[in-house]
Parts: sequence; structure tokens; C-alpha cells
Amino acid sequence: MDANAVAGTRQPEPRRPHTASLFRKGWEAPSARAIVALVFILAIGCIFNADGAFYKWGTHRDALRQASVFGILACGMTLVIISGGIDLAVGSVLALVSVTFSLMTIHWGWPGVLAIPLCLLLALACGAISGGIISWFGIQAFIATLAMMVFARGMAKTISGGMKVSTAVKNADGTYRYEEVPEVFRAIDSRVLGGDVSVVTLIFVGCAVIAWIVLARHRWGRHVYAVGGNEEAARLSGLNVKVTKVLAYAASGLLSGVAGLCQAAQEQQGDPETGAGYELTAIAIVVIGGTTLAGGRGGIGLTLLGTLTIGYLDKILSINAVPEASRLMLTGAIIVIAVLAQRRARPR
Amino acid sequence: MQIHLSLLALGGSLLLSAVLGTGCSRSETSGRAEDGKRFKIGMSQCNLGEPWRVEMNAQIKAAAAKHPNLEVIFKDAQNDTLKQRAHVEEFVSAGVNLLIISPKEAVPLTEPVAKAMEAGIPVIVLDRALVGDKFTCFIGADNKKIGRAAGEWIVKRLGGKGKVVELKGLMTSIPGQDRHSGFREGIAGSQIEVIFEADMKWLEPDARKEMESALARFPKIDAVYAHNDPGAHGAFLAAKAAGREKEMIFVGIDALPQEGVAYVQQGILDATFQYPTGGAEAIDTALKILNGESVPKTIVLGSRVFDKETVGQGGRDLK
Repeated sequence: MDANAVAGTRQPEPRRPHTASLFRKGWEAPSARAIVALVFILAIGCIFNADGAFYKWGTHRDALRQASVFGILACGMTLVIISGGIDLAVGSVLALVSVTFSLMTIHWGWPGVLAIPLCLLLALACGAISGGIISWFGIQAFIATLAMMVFARGMAKTISGGMKVSTAVKNADGTYRYEEVPEVFRAIDSRVLGGDVSVVTLIFVGCAVIAWIVLARHRWGRHVYAVGGNEEAARLSGLNVKVTKVLAYAASGLLSGVAGLCQAAQEQQGDPETGAGYELTAIAIVVIGGTTLAGGRGGIGLTLLGTLTIGYLDKILSINAVPEASRLMLTGAIIVIAVLAQRRARPR
Repeated sequence: MQIHLSLLALGGSLLLSAVLGTGCSRSETSGRAEDGKRFKIGMSQCNLGEPWRVEMNAQIKAAAAKHPNLEVIFKDAQNDTLKQRAHVEEFVSAGVNLLIISPKEAVPLTEPVAKAMEAGIPVIVLDRALVGDKFTCFIGADNKKIGRAAGEWIVKRLGGKGKVVELKGLMTSIPGQDRHSGFREGIAGSQIEVIFEADMKWLEPDARKEMESALARFPKIDAVYAHNDPGAHGAFLAAKAAGREKEMIFVGIDALPQEGVAYVQQGILDATFQYPTGGAEAIDTALKILNGESVPKTIVLGSRVFDKETVGQGGRDLK
């Protein structure tokens, strides 16, 4: 008989992990690492503060503004990566929406309330198509989203005729007339709270909050973790794996659309070439935050930390006028270091 | 699953045929056959991602449309050097009368072009040079000259002294390097000081980001010189958001009608310098070659400056 079986002194059985604490564990361990990485970058900023520029609020406001579009993409990418997949099409969908939004509001004069939902619907559709191809035809996420990346870019170029959709509109006789920058563009690209916060930053925070609520508090969020952790087990447990995955890619598409609206407003034009390579930055943000590419763990909070880390690194290199070649090498090195640090921290 | 796959294959082939069908019918067959000989010209473009190159093709098409005996076939290599090699070889086997090429890179395309010359096809090279001299004619603008002109314009406008932010294009590209070195030559000897420079890779969002950093660091900026108009536009937006756009002048390069020139018209840029595509000159030279006339080995295109005073009259020639 076990001595501890005597009533009153028995050790409690170790808690078996169930779904709720599984993803809480996945959040807690890497978040400490992500915070350390961010603090490290901020310390570098304080040391190399470019004649005090790092201490001005404007620098931080602008760093957040610049990072917001990538942060929005990274939120969608987080959902997809946790589900066990990847979405390479985010940059192209961003460009497609950017072009469509500009066309609708500048060239056709549609109001924002009409143009925005239509553009987001288009983006959602692109994501859902990617998800559908992956779920129903069993094609690998990499290939399917690569195809969507190329297709959406082609659509963007076709719709725009290969040129930027801007306020300079060509008339039938070849001359140009100049439209006003749409109200909705100005609204998105403005600042609030006395010029201290950019609207796109608020849009990013809004997207992150909604994505966090869905992922951490909603039933579907738990399904995403389950599918990413072990798809076969999830299927055998009775989860609708196909629908879960389609929704993840649809959400990623939708968020790419939101990013596209912000990009168009900030450039005051729809550039069919914009967003090229943004998917890699989004993936880097998610990975540096601590969400593993294997799927099944991670969270929006980590992605937020990753966005700030990459955003501030970029800003510090910028205010110090570091040459381009050095920037590329430094950024690459830091990504590797951050990921290595994540690996050692994960409980084995 | 099997039904799905066959449906997909059928759909895919229908789509492919549709695209090829419309593509083929859109190949440039201009005008009826005349008494004069019809000439087929192949045009190999390295990419149509840059609006400037879209403009180049548009100008070639417009110039060729004036001559019904010319048929121009356009191929886009999508910035892939090997694809462009293949296109050149395809044009040679198709037996075109003349080849116009705007190469992505010099070294890998020098030999295919030399082979085209050996096959008896004259070659006009646009914008980016090849190695050696195995081509008929090179037509290009001088980025160094344009950069120098921009520098001199800024010196004159600022009265010889001031603080300038330079937003550079991709510094691994020749145009970026030339527009940079030319600019530095243009401001040499004056009291113009470049207080901040960054590589914005020709991209507007990157230019805006770099300009924000410059604005955070420097309380007084007199001029922004960007290697292209999108860069200058991004810098303007950053300055406008900071409420400082009236403090400085903005200068860009390219002067595309719907971009740089439009920006000067709208008061966004103070000046833009045209980087001509050479499309019209290419067709003129092609006609000369096809008629058996001799043409110079190199044609350097002139440039125009568009600023507030001259934008209405289509800019002013640069000497």
C-alpha cells in the first residue's frame, strides 16, 4: 500500500492536459522569449538612438504605422499556421484589393460603405478558394497558396491594366484629369488622438483583438489548434477538419483584404505590384513571435510581440541610416537567433 | 475523386485554350498588307511589372501603328533572364526581320543576341546595355546626366546651400548608381549637404518609411531628391502627415504622364526629370535599318525637365 494513500496526505494526480490548457501552455512559454527579444531590440534602439530620434513619440507612432499592414497580414497568417498550413498568397491578395479599392473609389466614385465590403468579400473569396482547394482536393497548402499568389497577382494586373490606379485618370482622348483623393482614403491614412496615433495602427489593433477573441475564446479557435496539432486525431474526434481549414484561409484572405485597404489609402493609389514579398515578412513575424510552423500552438499575443520586434528593428535600422546590405544581413541573422531561442525554450 | 480530377483537367485545358486564343488574336497585326514589304519585328521586354516598361511597350506600339507595313510581336520575360533568352531564340527561329530587346541583364543575353546577329537579324538594344558590340544599335538615356541635371536644378533652386535628403533606388542596379553619382556631381562645389540617404528600392512605401525617419531626425530639411517619382511621392506623403510638406521641395525622376508629370501638375512634386523609354526612337531606327540605311551604334536620348513653369508646355529640353 502506498504511504501516500493514507487519507489526507495523498498527492494530487498530475493534471492531464486538455485542450484549454494546451493552448494556454503554448502561449505562456514562448511569450517570455518573445518579450525578451522585443526588450532586447528596444534596448538597441535606446543605445543607437540616432541623435535622440528614438526618444521622440513621432518615431514610435511611425514605426507602428509602418508595421501595421504587416501586423494585419501576420494575424491571418497566425490562424493559418496554427491550423497546420501556410498562406503564401497574402501579398497578392493585398495588391488585388488595393487595386480594386482604388478603382472603385477613385475611378468609379463609389463611397467607402459600398467599396469596402465588396473588396473584403473579394479577399474572403480568394482565401476561401485557397482553403477549398487545400481541404477538398488535398493539395498541399504551400502549392495551393502559391498558385493563388500568382493568380491573384495576375488578376490585380489585369484589372489595373498593369499601371497604378491613381488619382490621375486617363480620359478617352489620352489626356489626364485629376480626381480628388477619396474621403475614405484620407480617413484611413489620418491620425487621431491629437496626431499621436495612426488610424491604421488602430485598425491593426482591432484586427488583432478580434483574431485573439476568435482563436482563444471561440469554439472554432480550439478546433484550429486541434487540427494543427494532430489533424487525424481531430478528424477522428468528430471535428469538421475541412470546414475548419477553409475558415482559417478565408480569415487570412479577409485580413489580407483589410491590409490592402490600408495599403491603398497610405499610397493614395492601387499599385498592382505592391505587397510583393510581404508574405515572407508576415511569416517571419509569426515565427519570431513564437508560433511554430509545425502548427498546433501559438497565438495572436505572440504575433503582436513579433510585429513589434520586427517593426522596431526596421525603424531602428532606418533612423540610423544603416546601408541596405547590412540591414538585410542583420535582419536575417536576428530571425535565425530568435527562432533558435524559441526552440530551446519549448518544454520537451 | 476521379470525376473531380477529370473535370478539373477539362476546365484547365479550356481555360488555357481561351487564354492562348485571345492572346494570339491580340498579337499586333497592324493594318492591311500594302504594296511595300511587310516587316515582322520581335520585341523582347524583360518585365512588365514596372509602369515605365509598360509605357515603353505602349510607345513602341503607338509608333508602329503609324506604319501599316510593320507588325510588332511583344514578349514579356517576367523578369526571368532564362525566359528572355528563350524568347530571343524563339524570335530567331520564327525568322523575324528585326529584333528589339530591353534586356534584364547584360552578360546572359549578350550571346543569344550575337547569335541573332549571325542569323542576319539586326538587333536594337533599349535602355540596358549588353557586353561588347554584337548588336546593331543601342538606344538609351543617360542616367548620370539626368542625376546631374537634378542636382544642378536643386542647387539653383535652393540658391547654392541647403540640406537635402536623398532617397535612392536599388543601389545594386545601374540606374540607381548612375542617378546617385550624377546627382553628387551636380551638387559638387556648392554648399548643398546630403544629411540623410537611404535605399528605398524604387518602392513608394519604403520611401515613405525612410522619409519618416529623416523627419524624425532633422528639424529642417530643404529638399528631397528621390531616384524615381513614386519615391518622391512617398516622401511627400510622409512630410504631409507631419505637416512639413511646405518646408521643402520634392524632386523625382521618370516623368511618366500619369505619375511624375501628374504630380507636378497637382503641386505634389516641384520637378521631375524625364527618363525617356526610347520606344518611338526604336521604331524610327528600325525603319531605317530595314530600309538599308546605316544607323549610329549608340543613340543617347535627351531628357526633359517638368517643373511648375514648364509642365503646361510639355516640359523643357535638357541641354
